[in-house]
Amino acid sequence: MTTQQFLISEWTWNTAGFVFSGAALTAYLWAFNISRRILYLLAALAVFVLTLVSPLNALAAGYLFSAHMLQHILLLLIVPALLLMSLPRWVSLGSRSWLIANPFIGWIAGVGAMWLWHARPLCNAAVSSQIVNALQICSLILLGTIFWRQILAPREEERMSPAGAVLYLFSACVACSILGILITFSPVSVCPIYAQPPADRLGILNLIQSSWGITPDRDQQIGGLLMWVPMCLIYLSAIIAQLARWFAHPVASTPVTGKPL
Amino acid sequence: MNGNTSITATVAHLLTPAERQHWKLAWLSTVDHKRIGILYMLTGLVFFVIAGIEALLIRLQLMVPNNTLLAPDTYNWMFTMHGTTMIFLVAMPVLFGIMNYILPLQIGARDMAFPRLNALGVWLVPFGGILLHFSFLAGGPPAVGWFAYTPLSETPYSSQLGVDYWAISLLVLGIGSVSAGINFIVTVLTQRAPGMTLRRLPLFSWMVFMNAFLVILALPLLNASLVMLLIDRLLGGRFFLPFGGGSAIMWQHIFWAFGHPEVYIVAIPAFAILSEVIPVFSRKPIFGHEFVAASTVVIVFLSLLVWAHHMFTVGLGHTIDLFFVAASVLIAVPTGVKLFNWSATMVGGRVRFTTPMLFCVAALLQFLIGGLTGISHAVAPLDWQTKNSYYLVAHFHNIFVGLIVFAILGAIYYWFPKMSGRMMSERLGKWSFWLMTIGFNLTFMIQHVLGLAGMPRRTFTYPDLPGWAWMNMVSTIGAFFMAAGSIVFVWDLVTSLFRGKAAGDNPWNAWTLEWATTSPPPHENFDALPPIHSRRPLWDYANPDRPDPVVPAGGAIDNFRPEKNKAGVMTFIISELGFFGVLILAYLFYNATPQSGPGWQRLDIFKTTIFSVCLFASSFTIWRSEVGLRTNNLGKMKAWLIATIVLGGIFIVGQGLEYWSLYQSGVSVGLDLFATTFFTLTGFHGLHVSFGLLALLVVLGVALVSNPKNGHLPALGAVGYYWHFVDVVWVFVFSIVYLWPLIR
Repeated sequence: MTTQQFLISEWTWNTAGFVFSGAALTAYLWAFNISRRILYLLAALAVFVLTLVSPLNALAAGYLFSAHMLQHILLLLIVPALLLMSLPRWVSLGSRSWLIANPFIGWIAGVGAMWLWHARPLCNAAVSSQIVNALQICSLILLGTIFWRQILAPREEERMSPAGAVLYLFSACVACSILGILITFSPVSVCPIYAQPPADRLGILNLIQSSWGITPDRDQQIGGLLMWVPMCLIYLSAIIAQLARWFAHPVASTPVTGKPL
Repeated sequence: MNGNTSITATVAHLLTPAERQHWKLAWLSTVDHKRIGILYMLTGLVFFVIAGIEALLIRLQLMVPNNTLLAPDTYNWMFTMHGTTMIFLVAMPVLFGIMNYILPLQIGARDMAFPRLNALGVWLVPFGGILLHFSFLAGGPPAVGWFAYTPLSETPYSSQLGVDYWAISLLVLGIGSVSAGINFIVTVLTQRAPGMTLRRLPLFSWMVFMNAFLVILALPLLNASLVMLLIDRLLGGRFFLPFGGGSAIMWQHIFWAFGHPEVYIVAIPAFAILSEVIPVFSRKPIFGHEFVAASTVVIVFLSLLVWAHHMFTVGLGHTIDLFFVAASVLIAVPTGVKLFNWSATMVGGRVRFTTPMLFCVAALLQFLIGGLTGISHAVAPLDWQTKNSYYLVAHFHNIFVGLIVFAILGAIYYWFPKMSGRMMSERLGKWSFWLMTIGFNLTFMIQHVLGLAGMPRRTFTYPDLPGWAWMNMVSTIGAFFMAAGSIVFVWDLVTSLFRGKAAGDNPWNAWTLEWATTSPPPHENFDALPPIHSRRPLWDYANPDRPDPVVPAGGAIDNFRPEKNKAGVMTFIISELGFFGVLILAYLFYNATPQSGPGWQRLDIFKTTIFSVCLFASSFTIWRSEVGLRTNNLGKMKAWLIATIVLGGIFIVGQGLEYWSLYQSGVSVGLDLFATTFFTLTGFHGLHVSFGLLALLVVLGVALVSNPKNGHLPALGAVGYYWHFVDVVWVFVFSIVYLWPLIR
């Protein structure tokens, strides 16, 4: 199989994914007026569906740890962030609930989702079992939403202060980088199921290992590096947005004339 | 005699009348940030002369092909000592000195947050410097380059004491730098004048603030790698020795995880100086203040992320190279933002080319060149060709000399009037500037060509290949131009101190608060402050009819002022994360696959669990003690405090028993990698617990003696934070060392 054939043929149907997306879109249209923000929702659903039906999913299902990592990042960081940004500014996301409003919980949710799902038994199970896989996808979106709520809650007063948000994002980046560094340099396989693909169901093993040159060792390195570098750049983008928010808020008032010393 | 009196008189006019009787003591025992700043700079100047002479010896050796002026070993000593000294004993102390002097003045503070800690930091510099240079008397200095790659720096290949002195000295300097970083952060957070909100910080102060975070995040990584190297060398550990199972590459990773941020630790203060001087002499506020401020945050962030681009030639593999090429190239964006903003500040301004401005504009241009060659190094294939050549030497000297030294010289010409009350000579200043600039470009521009022509660095001589001889000759001549420029500069410094014309409070018509007081400032810095509504309070004061737009001061962050002691300890804890992080990662790396000999099986998990419970319980007792203090129940507070000390003591004794039984069964640090990593990780944790116990005893003593009124004993809360931190570290260490093998 060539790369081109692979990219054309390996699309899979995912009923649950489409049902969820359709439901989300319907609920959004039912609850809110149509504004430009719906574009964020459409983007979120597009990323979500593409993650689940595109050849990326075929690769993640037993072939490439790095493809799984890319899915992981998209579902944990990109989709929930876009979902939150799609909400109209008046929507309140439970500022009274201690569990959701606490930044510490949010941080643990975002970072924990990374660490937990890369524990060896869970990482293996998410590939071998459909149920665990579905559970993983749902939990990533949920935990990602709890994480991003601190930064992207529609209501300004439900968000963290910009300085707090910078620390929140920076420390999350450090925590994920450490895991990324561990995975990149680990002398043992983090997710052994990828190291020995059980059966070459799609007949693409040769394509991956010979044409693309991705050996299991290199695959794990790419996975770790994805978590270490590009993921941190996502946090960095959010940090820049927070700085802009800090410098812009509140708008400058009229100048006050100086008084004598 | 005459000379001595005039020195006394000059040094004395920086002192109060009461101190003039014993002016030497007044300088030695000072805790005033201004004198500490000057001490930092003078120490740096002394080492600048030493490292400068070393540079001249290197250039003399390379002046002609096949030269025999320096023996190969001596040459290796020279470039190692030159690099180490220039970075750790010149650039950092001088910049810390400038920041120490200016930062409190610029934010309208009386002093740094922790004046005694500040004094400790400054005296650690000569201490570390003397330790490093003592190696000359103890069998020869290190000859391993400033990054001391293992295994070359390990005992089998460098058996003399030079590397030990190098590592211990850098450890001392690293501790001093972290203490200074903590002090800068807490000073900005807690000592700002009323109205000086975080958003109104002038760019210099903002960048010093950001840079201090980089210091406390990056320096502990170096400290961790140094203790690992010392454990290898002095206790027979196996961290970085390949034939003992260790990884020599790990040293490079840790060193560059520190080393790349280190470049920015000395570059961001230079950016800060440029951001201050260029607007003043362009008579315009800086273009895009927010962009410059935010790009500094981005630089701090990215600089921690990209160290592997120093290791493209190591053979990490294409995959790793690829990611770090991309991330490294990204750094060009925030630095480019800065360059454009400085340039845009000058456009349309009434630019006055005084000496400080000349140095800063030159720094900007040299940094542009150094930055562009830097990008060329971020591209791995090009890096493979040029890494170990003079092209790299030319690149980083463009940063370290072209940007940083020039910015420092600009800063000294700019702030000397404030520090001494006298102007430096513009005529000598221009001589110094042109000698330095011409000399610098003669020395280093040609080295780009030499490097591309294939001349390797760190070789004591070279064959007479076509073109190499004359290019090296040019380079050496340039070095002597720079030496002449330095001599003119020092001459200018000394003569201006005695005979410079009076400066007045604000000779440059600048806008920030350091110019709102006398030159030199009085002991307490200010009698009164102008109102602060923007980033240029003196402009607003001088131009009441057209002030700067008010910088809004709403929100909790703008007026964030934590309690000083707690902020200090929290900052310290952040700095400890890197240190323990490295030790934990090293443990995980070396124990990921079980070692051949018995490893964790030798540990007594049952007993240690009991002792750990004691330690965890002590977190609860110290919390009860704080509650006792808050509710003004001093008896309760003392009782719970004593309980905490007892529980901590039990833990330490328990750890001692574990060590003793291991020692009895023949397990020592050097036995295998498990032993090396185990003793290092738990040993440093135990050391921290011991220090925590000492601090708790001190707090208990204070409480017993003084009976704090109204629940006021901030030290308890501060030590409490530290104690919780030590417990949390043990949660990780205990899980990884004792529990992880059970579930694996």
